[in-house]
Amino acid sequence: MATPPAEARSNRAAVQATNDDASASKLSCVKKGYMKDDYVHLFVKRPVRRSPIINRGYFSRWAAFRQLLSQFLESSQAKKQIVSLGAGFDTTYFQLLDEGKGPDLYVELDFKEVTSKKAAVIENSSQLRDKLGPNASISVENGQVLSDHYKLLPVDLRDIPKLRDVISFAEMDPSLPTFIIAECVLIYLDPDSSRAIVNWASKTFPTAAFFLYEQIHPDDAFGHQMIRNLETRGCALLSIDASPTLLAKERLFLDNGWQRAVAWDMLKVYGSFVNTQEKRRIERLELFDEFEEWHMMQEHYCVTYAVNDAMGIFGDFGFSREGGSESIRSISSP
Amino acid sequence: MSDLDRQIEQLKRCEPLSESEVKALCLKAMEILVEESNVQRVDAPVTLCGDIHGQFYDMMELFKVGGDCPKTNYLFLGDFVDRGYYSVETFLLLLALKVRYPDRITLIRGNHESRQITQVYGFYDECLRKYGSVNVWRYCTDIFDYMSLSAVVENKIFCVHGGLSPAIMTLDQIRTIDRKQEVPHDGAMCDLLWSDPEDIVDGWGLSPRGAGFLFGGSVVTSFNHTNNIDYIGRAHQLVMEGYKWMFDSQIVTVWSAPNYCYRCGNVASILELDENLNKEFRVFDAAQQDSRGPPAKKPAPDYFL
Repeated sequence: MATPPAEARSNRAAVQATNDDASASKLSCVKKGYMKDDYVHLFVKRPVRRSPIINRGYFSRWAAFRQLLSQFLESSQAKKQIVSLGAGFDTTYFQLLDEGKGPDLYVELDFKEVTSKKAAVIENSSQLRDKLGPNASISVENGQVLSDHYKLLPVDLRDIPKLRDVISFAEMDPSLPTFIIAECVLIYLDPDSSRAIVNWASKTFPTAAFFLYEQIHPDDAFGHQMIRNLETRGCALLSIDASPTLLAKERLFLDNGWQRAVAWDMLKVYGSFVNTQEKRRIERLELFDEFEEWHMMQEHYCVTYAVNDAMGIFGDFGFSREGGSESIRSISSP
Repeated sequence: MSDLDRQIEQLKRCEPLSESEVKALCLKAMEILVEESNVQRVDAPVTLCGDIHGQFYDMMELFKVGGDCPKTNYLFLGDFVDRGYYSVETFLLLLALKVRYPDRITLIRGNHESRQITQVYGFYDECLRKYGSVNVWRYCTDIFDYMSLSAVVENKIFCVHGGLSPAIMTLDQIRTIDRKQEVPHDGAMCDLLWSDPEDIVDGWGLSPRGAGFLFGGSVVTSFNHTNNIDYIGRAHQLVMEGYKWMFDSQIVTVWSAPNYCYRCGNVASILELDENLNKEFRVFDAAQQDSRGPPAKKPAPDYFL
């Protein structure tokens, strides 16, 4: 049987490997002092030093994410939950605990190949395990971690009925304010699956903020090369043509039931949203001589957030709240 | 065939020299470069080339388009190393050509020809990886200190890697700089290698790079007039179309690294000047995959994943 072209350009193992790549990049940032993360090193086998443009780009993504997450966590409603789609080896939950901001429930979902590895790392690290409390149960075989406030579960996100089951198994309460994270995840799925997930999230959580970080603009010279390079490593951006622009990203949410959606490219996010003091701090960490490329690269990534506000708690949530009111805990410069 | 010719052939196959060969080559290059002026005089016809950044196979493409040295007379505007996978082979080939044909190729210094920058942007790591020690990096960075800071073609086209400096009004002022040092963090020598022309700047502005300045059209007009220069040729900034004129054709940026960092998707160019200084830009693409030698295990270009 002939292989469908999409599958030739995209394979599961290669897409999962992007997780290792991202973790290594985050560790590179942490080592240079861009941000604090006491846990990411546990997930990286071979640390590498990334170039300043990659460090700064990961920082800008992290800062935007943490500022929006902080806005959500600070909003008036007491009980809150977070679900991370395609969480990979992300360590945000453990960082939030250290910062005294742990939500009532933090659920991470990914392919079982990934959750098994993550469960194994958690099991073998007392630093992580101890944070989950005495009731935690960890099964590497099932790729599952269950604790009072943190749950790691395997699922193929494209299977919406399974996704529903997993969410209810995780005891998420759809009525609670919910923060949904999808960083470089939906873009690897086929457009129908991406839409179905966005639609499911909107229907499931009436009071929610959706944080999306992924690529845009496949149609210029940089975009063409990006698509080619990622396809060469088996990571085709299957959804990029379905929402290639900022407007299309907003439409993806608005057409699938979300009340409000705002998409900015990362150049604007870095310029107008990321905390100014933080920028001043990190821009001194390394020599930086990649400006033309930096502008292009950041223009090819965006943050889109979408809001459903049944409880009316998201009035001023978003980019208009400059720099994040209570700025992210900054690290003292090394 | 002399040792040097053999080494050039070897380097053209993208095979690095031995450490002792590098040491000997650098000593010979030093004797030649030390004699050059800070504003090296270059005769036309000549072909101007911008940043290469270790993209060896794309430089081979450049030679295909522009012709071989010594048949074609070349002026390279710096930034031979860093970023690409083959800084060692790229720089050594250019240096070997310089030693073999000193009057047919001019190499001036870019801001990446620096000990500090190469430790961040790849050349240092590459030397360590390919030779198991940093000796080759030391020989090469020592040679960087001897490279000229600028050139002037037929006294009419001023060529420099980055741009102008508020400390420099005349070419004679450049000639007085003691260049045999690491690129300083500020001052005239630093500015020549780091500055950028900028449309929205009137006069001088702060550079986001943290070194050098931004300079506007009036600065260029005044510099060109004072020094009786037709225009300035420079590199230093990625231009997606390969070259870019600014300020009413008073300055041109030439960029010679196609698909920069194997990521940017841009074309590159070289600027051919004939004996009457007539200009022709030759635009070229990155080398095809099959001319890049065996698909060795190269790191994939980084993205945010």
